[in-house]
Amino acid sequence: MSQEKAENSGKKNNAVGLNYRQLVRRQFGKNRMAVWSLRFLWVLIFVAVFGSFLVNERPLYCKIDGETYFPVFKQIAVDLGLDKWESKFVTNDWDDHEYESVVRPLVPYSYNTQDLKNSFVGPFDEQRVESLRWRHWLGTDNLGRDVVAGLVHGTRIALLTGIIAMSIASLIGIFFGAVAGYFGDDKLKVSWLRILLNVVGLVLAIFYGFLSRGYAISEGKLGWELIKGVFIFSAIMWVFNFVAKLLERFVSIKKGIRFPADLLIMRLIEIMNSIPALLLLLSVVALFQKPSIFNVMVIIGLIGWTGIARFVRAELMRIRNLEYIQATRALGFKEKYIILRHALPNALGPVLISVAFGIANAVLIEAFLSFLGIGLPADMVTWGTMLNEARNAFDAWWIALFPGLAIFVTVTLFNLIGEGLTDAMDTR
Amino acid sequence: MLRYILKRILLFIPTLIVISFLAFGLSKCTPGDPGGGYGGDDELKISERDYRQAIERLGLDKPVFYFDFTAKAYPDTLYRIIYKYKREAAGKLIGQYGNWPQIEAYYHGIEALQKQFVNLPDTVGKKARAKVLPELNLLETDFKDPSILNRFRRIENALAADSTTTDQIQDGYLTLRSSYETIKTAPTRRKLYVPAFYWYGLDNQYHHWASDFLKGDFGESYLTGQPVADKIWSALKWTLLINGVAILVAYLFSIPIGVYAARRQGKPFDRITSVILFMLHSLPSFWVATLLIVFFTTPEYGMDWFPTFGLGDIPDGASFWDVIRIRAWHMVLPVFALSYGSLAFISRQMRGSMVDVLRQDYIRTAKAKGLKEKTVVWRHGFRNALFPIITMFASVLPASIAGSVVIEVIFNIHGMGKVVVDSIFRDDWPVVYAVLMLASVLTVIGILLADILYAVIDPRVRLGKK
Repeated sequence: MSQEKAENSGKKNNAVGLNYRQLVRRQFGKNRMAVWSLRFLWVLIFVAVFGSFLVNERPLYCKIDGETYFPVFKQIAVDLGLDKWESKFVTNDWDDHEYESVVRPLVPYSYNTQDLKNSFVGPFDEQRVESLRWRHWLGTDNLGRDVVAGLVHGTRIALLTGIIAMSIASLIGIFFGAVAGYFGDDKLKVSWLRILLNVVGLVLAIFYGFLSRGYAISEGKLGWELIKGVFIFSAIMWVFNFVAKLLERFVSIKKGIRFPADLLIMRLIEIMNSIPALLLLLSVVALFQKPSIFNVMVIIGLIGWTGIARFVRAELMRIRNLEYIQATRALGFKEKYIILRHALPNALGPVLISVAFGIANAVLIEAFLSFLGIGLPADMVTWGTMLNEARNAFDAWWIALFPGLAIFVTVTLFNLIGEGLTDAMDTR
Repeated sequence: MLRYILKRILLFIPTLIVISFLAFGLSKCTPGDPGGGYGGDDELKISERDYRQAIERLGLDKPVFYFDFTAKAYPDTLYRIIYKYKREAAGKLIGQYGNWPQIEAYYHGIEALQKQFVNLPDTVGKKARAKVLPELNLLETDFKDPSILNRFRRIENALAADSTTTDQIQDGYLTLRSSYETIKTAPTRRKLYVPAFYWYGLDNQYHHWASDFLKGDFGESYLTGQPVADKIWSALKWTLLINGVAILVAYLFSIPIGVYAARRQGKPFDRITSVILFMLHSLPSFWVATLLIVFFTTPEYGMDWFPTFGLGDIPDGASFWDVIRIRAWHMVLPVFALSYGSLAFISRQMRGSMVDVLRQDYIRTAKAKGLKEKTVVWRHGFRNALFPIITMFASVLPASIAGSVVIEVIFNIHGMGKVVVDSIFRDDWPVVYAVLMLASVLTVIGILLADILYAVIDPRVRLGKK
């Protein structure tokens, strides 16, 4: 299917023999800014993934009393619950050990290491450090926390926020967008029997999935219990639809209505767009008794799916009228199969565009929330919290400059990539 | 035209109703006790009469919604327990054991014991009373088995040390103890899996909240008891002022920039502005605001040109022009921080739509007729390119209001955004959700206005052609 399309557009570009993906890649390659953004993004991802090996107060390798340790690796094992620290590492600071030999990471500070001898020193100020190796290259904050270390930790949080939030948003957005775009207002015919069973099923699914499990949800692990609830919900809905399918064969109430899927979903999107997203986010995030960065990520995703939904809807409205979809329909394939196997894969490329812009937005929102200090644990270090410290310290320009620069660069990268993708996939 | 407007307005009513459900639902999930009552380890219990008065004044003694869809184990009268923490604890006990009659008996047991204690003559068992009474109060808010048993143990210890009190209290205590054991030994958990539907009618919290909102009464602040509406109206003034000026500035600059860039498409001016505008679009406003306030409002860097905070105090008897001057001086930085983002956005859109228009046949015709370049661009092109820019107002206004939250916080301007953030930090929830609701209403009105404007300019819209 995509072969045919590629050939069509291929002729225009004098590039016969390339498929759609190769074409897009070629177009994207022509946009120098976008290509460089993508390269720089790989650097950011590298920093985020291997941050603890580059920036850490723990040595990469050390030898104490004839015994060899790899504290950075050990930290990862401890975090995963596979290992435990020796008692001397718990009681003593990392600076206090008598090392026989030691290899430290590039920056020998963690984001929460407090170097109290050097609080509030700027990049160009004189610093009380043993050697250049220990210098705070971008300065420290009022607790003596290294700015570079904070920036690296912030990179992790920001990229993680972008990825988690946009994964959730994509799932919701693609589902709603596909249903609205493919079925429109008149393509989804539903029998009364199915509507009736679905209403009953919905009521029971909400009841058994969430209401009757109220105690477990409020007292157990919230995320886990909610996932269980969603599972029960889906199972009940599936059972009812299965029964409906069986009954439709025997009972002769085939008469039905055209289900206005598009109308309903567009209403929902309109409602979501009518609520100022930042205010909604603030008032939801503030409700959590135990603030956590993961709540913020999930809620950004739950609120930010409308852009993707509209994108997918527009794409599917175009695709559903293409000949190959008509052909598959004429061959008698099921609608579900057509959407999942034939229509959606061709709409997913353009979704990347809105995912790129969406990540930029999510990074910005996370920074906004942590800047205000709402919904995050007090000891969390992100770009936003670092920038917030600048408001209480007007003379420390480095705290105002670097975290903001990091936010700006990341947001710009994703925006440029989004622009590049838009140009590359332009169907005109 | 009128029919079109009416239709649009009617379409917005369901939207507003759904938003009100959301705002109200969220406001019911807030932590803290609005009655100012006891909770957690707070030993001070305000008198039941005061608490009841506060709750009744806030209308919290009514059922939450028109109906309740829940499990049969929960009674339809649960809302009548006015103490928030006690009600929640009762709900959680039901969630564990499902036997409301036994749980109710247990609560009656606690209350009876509390009364007995209070009615004891002053001379008897002062020590035991001081220890046992707080435990009893906290027992009402407990729902986890280990912690309840722990409290029983402490009560027993206190009673064992004071035999005179024990004689008088023993019976009541033993009934309480056994009633708790009955809860555990005779649970009816199957009732938790039977759905139940209770209808409460119009006299409920949501109904009152929504109808009060329509009347302009947004409830009262938990902190000061001041009407929320007063707080919001005085804040709204400032938000609208700085946002109005910012949007005006953005439109004033962006339209010429967009048109100019479109006329010189691909030339250096266009290329340079498009890069700059793109950068501006990605610059986070709170970073720019922080930089502005750090560099331009303090003597540290020799650029102490603007005031740091607020919108200025107006001295008594200041003339009109003085007021304007002071306000304008204070507004330079916040308005800049607020407007450059939408300026970049609108300019880019303006350029795009102008480029599209200039490609059209009728522009070529106009040029072929020998009209001056200026006339072609402004008389023929500009008008048509303006349509999308007008509808964009609908998205610029809410974005701007939301964006001004952080600007107001940074520059300490007492607008809606600052009020919301302050209220969140102080747990003053009615303010938060009233603002959320009000901002949504404003957004909806903004969208409506843009739709109507569009219909006025473009007759195809109101005539319903697609």
